[in-house]
Amino acid sequence: MAAQQTRDLAGAVDSTDPQVGLAAVASLRNLVERLEELHVANARERGWSWQEIGAALGVSKQAVHRKHGRRRRLLG
Amino acid sequence: MFERFTEDARQAVALAQEEAVALHHGWIGTEHILLGILRADGDGARLLAGFGVEAAGVRDDVVRIVGLGEQDIDRDALATLGIDLEAVRERVERAFGPGALSRRGRCRRGGIGHSVPFTARAKKVLELSVREAVDLAERDLRGEHLVLGLLREGEGVAARILTARGVTHAAARERVAGRDAA
Repeated sequence: MAAQQTRDLAGAVDSTDPQVGLAAVASLRNLVERLEELHVANARERGWSWQEIGAALGVSKQAVHRKHGRRRRLLG
Repeated sequence: MFERFTEDARQAVALAQEEAVALHHGWIGTEHILLGILRADGDGARLLAGFGVEAAGVRDDVVRIVGLGEQDIDRDALATLGIDLEAVRERVERAFGPGALSRRGRCRRGGIGHSVPFTARAKKVLELSVREAVDLAERDLRGEHLVLGLLREGEGVAARILTARGVTHAAARERVAGRDAA
């Protein structure tokens, strides 16, 4: 029912409306960030090197380490 | 750690987890422990009621201070792209546990688990609560001791909410110890 409402809403909007398009991009980017955090943390827990993680993500190991490397030590 | 917990103290911890999941928070923080105590309807809730602290008002404060999880991910906006956030959430949570999508590095994840992890502060509160029970020469850890633990910790979201309502560790402890002596 909630999903149906969402679909109706999606169908009703004009996809060239910048407000709608940009909001969608922002949410998608945030979702991707969250998924990246989860999967990088999972890979590290499984012993993957930054090199391997970077290769899988299509970025350099420096880039992925700079972004995620300090996070674990900042926790708590 | 939970062996000496009374039934309502255990219930408070279980309800803390429920609150965390309901708020889409991927962690159990001091704020959820406070909500758990208030909902468990034991001596902890009664102690707090004596200070005028109730679950509904506290939950509003938690949402105001911490926010709801995933505030920056708009379900309807994603739907315009044909992405069903609930379907994504379901898959992510199946792999990484409840609240995984809204986890923001507040807690160390101990491997892939299916329960929401406690923050370091929340763990400290549990330890301090045990100490409060010991200090009061009590065998069991009751909801009241959890309240004292939250106040003793002093810096978490729960402590801030309680302090703003005029609940201090000294005043709460006096009521707990005073009634025990009587």
